[in-house]
Amino acid sequence: MDPETEFLSSKRQTGNEWELFKENVRPLKRGRNVDLLNHALKARTNDQLKKSLLENRRRLIEAIDEYQGDDPLQPWLDCIKWVQEAFPPGGDFSGLVLIYEQCVRAFWHSDHYKDDLRYLKVWLEYAEHCSDAEVIYCFLDANDIGKTHSAYYIAYALHMESKSKMKAANDILNLGISSNAQPIEKLRDAYKKFLARSMRRPNATEEELKEDDLPVRSFGTVLARGESQRQAIKTFELGRNKLKQDQVHRTPLSIYNDTNMDVTRGHHSKPNTGSNSWHTLGGRAERNKENNAMPAKWTSHKIPQRPVPRIVGAVASAQIEVFVDEECEEKPKVHDEKDRTSSLQLRELDGRNIKKETELLRENPLRNFPSNSLPR
Amino acid sequence: MASRTVAKDIITLRGSAAIVSEFFGYAANSILYNRGVYPEESFAKVKKYGLPMLLTQDEGVKSFITNLTAQLSEWLEAGKLQRVVMVIMSKATKAVLERWNFSIETDSDVVEKGVSREKSDREIMREIQAIMRQIASSITYLPCLDEPCVFDVLAYTDTDVPVPFTWIESDPKLIANPQMVKLHSFDTKKETQAI
Repeated sequence: MDPETEFLSSKRQTGNEWELFKENVRPLKRGRNVDLLNHALKARTNDQLKKSLLENRRRLIEAIDEYQGDDPLQPWLDCIKWVQEAFPPGGDFSGLVLIYEQCVRAFWHSDHYKDDLRYLKVWLEYAEHCSDAEVIYCFLDANDIGKTHSAYYIAYALHMESKSKMKAANDILNLGISSNAQPIEKLRDAYKKFLARSMRRPNATEEELKEDDLPVRSFGTVLARGESQRQAIKTFELGRNKLKQDQVHRTPLSIYNDTNMDVTRGHHSKPNTGSNSWHTLGGRAERNKENNAMPAKWTSHKIPQRPVPRIVGAVASAQIEVFVDEECEEKPKVHDEKDRTSSLQLRELDGRNIKKETELLRENPLRNFPSNSLPR
Repeated sequence: MASRTVAKDIITLRGSAAIVSEFFGYAANSILYNRGVYPEESFAKVKKYGLPMLLTQDEGVKSFITNLTAQLSEWLEAGKLQRVVMVIMSKATKAVLERWNFSIETDSDVVEKGVSREKSDREIMREIQAIMRQIASSITYLPCLDEPCVFDVLAYTDTDVPVPFTWIESDPKLIANPQMVKLHSFDTKKETQAI
């Protein structure tokens, strides 16, 4: 009996966590293993499973350090793949963005991986998680990484297209075709589809509302005139198309910000990276202004405090039990100084600063890179 | 009056076969839509099973599916159909990428004696709804089908069934090392039976 018939006639059931928690699962282009997915979803509420997941993550990270062979990228890929499966939502707490960043930073200068498709894919996945991936594409361009692969041009062009920079997208795809990137058919195909889409695009200026948008969705179209051209028009992100696109847009909503008002902002507006502003440190500082802003008093709301009974002679430490990941409980290991340009800080991560680091990286994906590596 | 309501709720095998083959038609359309085998624009929305279902407007595909469901219906009424499989293949390489299995259990009593069982329309509809929702949700774990694809339908029947004119005998088109997921099922007969 073939495995399929056998499976069908057996009493074996597949867990249905994948369906119950589907909103918490970030679809992966390569698909997911359902059993691993169900296991990971169960772990969200099951401490035992959670512990084993953390244990696994630690082991994979150790494997990266201890690898002796000639393909040091491989253990990174194993780790990334596993984290994607084990943390289905892939959000800020998974540490995924940090792993991407450490991985790309570990090898950016290495000639060995310049044309390695797997390495390029890590970069592209990193780009998908950033709010403005253009800096990443510029970086790849300047450092000659992945330029023999169609995937680079396709992803870059799609990104420009999402910013309505049609001419740039066009040029990029043409460049890829003339450089004979592989697989060339895929690139040509993507170019054809791009042309078809740009034909269909209304020639209206970007500020106008599109009538065929579903009622509530007017991302980025309600901005004041004269703002930077970087408006994310989601003309083709209705419904299912979202998943078909190669990029999952992580851009925060562009909220109209009246410059006279002094409001506390929930989301920041898109970073203003001019394409040749690599020399202006001002650009970067401005990009991070929300992270550097001095905390101000929250004056718009008052929350009544519930009276807390004071315990006399209480110890100065927090009265709330803080969940500490296993990784923090141990004494930090002393690694011998490895001969690498970046030190592996993954082991020192704990739940608290994973999220913060991830947010910082999303805004400024190249913040840890030495300045001499950045495009001139 | 009582007999009238009862008559409405009785599902005969013939009625049953109609429900199943109709279900298959809608499920096939749903799969083609959700897996991106045909472009979104070629589908139109209709209301069925209390859900917005998408049906292809492509004449070729439409007639293929109509003929298919008619044939399935015939086999179902005779109780000869065991399984229907929808196969999605790469257009370029003809490699089988996905198989959607619809396994059929026929109650032989009903075929032979024509006994009718009872189950409410609504209950059946709810069960079908659950399946349709699962099909749509499967994008959670299915890989993105990046390349142009085509589909085909295989029917597993009893061995004494002659091959109809528009069908051919085929190999099973199995996938090597498949990952397999079981979805919900529905049936048209009553689970408990009052005696």
